[in-house]
Amino acid sequence: MKHAVISCLHANLSAVEAVLGDIDRQGIETITCLGDLVGYGPQPNEVVELIRDRKIETCQGCWDEDIIDGLDACDCSYPSQLAERRGHMAHQWTTEKLTDENKKFLASLPTSIRRGRSLFVHGSPNSQHEYLLPDMDAFAALERVEMSGADTLFCGHTHLPYVRELGNGSIRVNIKNASDREREDIKMTLPIRRIVNAGSVGEPRHGGVNATYVIHDDIKNDVEIREVAYDIDRTCEAIIEAGLPHVFAWRLSNGFEFAELAEDASHVCER
Amino acid sequence: MIERWALLSGLMGDLETYELIQKDLKNTRGDITLFVLGDVVGPDKNCDALLNRLVNPHRGDLKPHCIYGWWEEQLLAESGYRGERKADALRLNKGDDAVTALMNAVDPYYLGWISSLEFGFVELDCGLIHGSSKDVGDILTMQTPPLTLLDRITRLNVNRLFTARSKQQFHLELTDAVVDSKVKDLNGKRNQEHTLPKRAVIGIGAGAHYTLYDVGSDQTHFLTVGDVTKSRGRGFA
Repeated sequence: MKHAVISCLHANLSAVEAVLGDIDRQGIETITCLGDLVGYGPQPNEVVELIRDRKIETCQGCWDEDIIDGLDACDCSYPSQLAERRGHMAHQWTTEKLTDENKKFLASLPTSIRRGRSLFVHGSPNSQHEYLLPDMDAFAALERVEMSGADTLFCGHTHLPYVRELGNGSIRVNIKNASDREREDIKMTLPIRRIVNAGSVGEPRHGGVNATYVIHDDIKNDVEIREVAYDIDRTCEAIIEAGLPHVFAWRLSNGFEFAELAEDASHVCER
Repeated sequence: MIERWALLSGLMGDLETYELIQKDLKNTRGDITLFVLGDVVGPDKNCDALLNRLVNPHRGDLKPHCIYGWWEEQLLAESGYRGERKADALRLNKGDDAVTALMNAVDPYYLGWISSLEFGFVELDCGLIHGSSKDVGDILTMQTPPLTLLDRITRLNVNRLFTARSKQQFHLELTDAVVDSKVKDLNGKRNQEHTLPKRAVIGIGAGAHYTLYDVGSDQTHFLTVGDVTKSRGRGFA
């Protein structure tokens, strides 16, 4: 059976509608959403209500969490103070616009969804704010999946869609204990695990302007990364009309990936 | 002169043991730096005398370089140094009486000094931490999965991690680590073999059990109070 995984919708209604249309045309009925329904974009209520109406199983993203609990991402989540100010402006605007009912919905979302040997999270099993980038330390990436008890970890947050398979791993463990006489030397095989990042529907940062998501075929155990064109002008006009920073529209229309990408994306906010 | 680190933890107010370790170290050869990896306080005895000795070392004492441990974290939390968070972990594990006992075991005069202690030290390519780079309460043992150990080492960007929380003494080396990574994204596919240089996690023990580390040769010696006197032939004294 095929199922679709979407993430990081970021209040971009036009992109969400286009992606859901693409999924529907393929006859896929199971959709999982990895959060960040709101933030940056101009249609937070419309996007939340569409997800609610479609009864799409969703876990909570870092923006969804921040809107409910207040900002807890520290400065280093942004590449500059200017970007941070824009982010905080978007946070305040979204908080004011979002209805109480939609806030309640965001508050009710789980931080993870487990389905068999698959785990669905926004950032990582550790935190909604942790970035699992495609080139992060392979052993650390393997640890994230293995310690979560999953074979496949579906995540978002980076806005970069990718599939990463980690296999053929081994490690030698040599232990000297307190008695100094007993030594153990063991060669261990590391597990085979996979990370699937769904990219972003509403705020692509892969270098192009198209929305992205993934389709997982659990019979073939294959993952397809999908790109979907959408009406970018419609979203950009809505951003300008809403009074949100114009750079949000500029980067969507140009597909610039660096606009809000942290320099140290592996950083985990401890605040 | 050989450079050595002496690493101890878990004294929990036990000044007598601290004095015995200091005595051992005076009889130990080398240029020794003393690191106290937390848990100098605890609920079972009054800790003020030990704290006073750490804050004001006697003439001839090796100067202790201290970090905070799990028990200090509980004390600071309950004393309002961690925002709204209280000693929840202690309360959950050992109940309200233990929290009260801990609070009674330490004069509030010392809270300022305890709150000034660091989470850990990075010396050369080594991390010195009470629990792990993830949390002061993280327990790393010989049985902890290698991937978890690697993660805790990687978070600090060091090659060796000295830890105390488990109370165990061990030197665990991770070598010949290899894993293949295959990434598929919008730009295509790429494969890479990842390897790691040798990494190690060292459990330093607690209380009367402490560790000497020879910095130049990467050798650990697991000791118990009084061992130095008995083992002059092994080169400690």
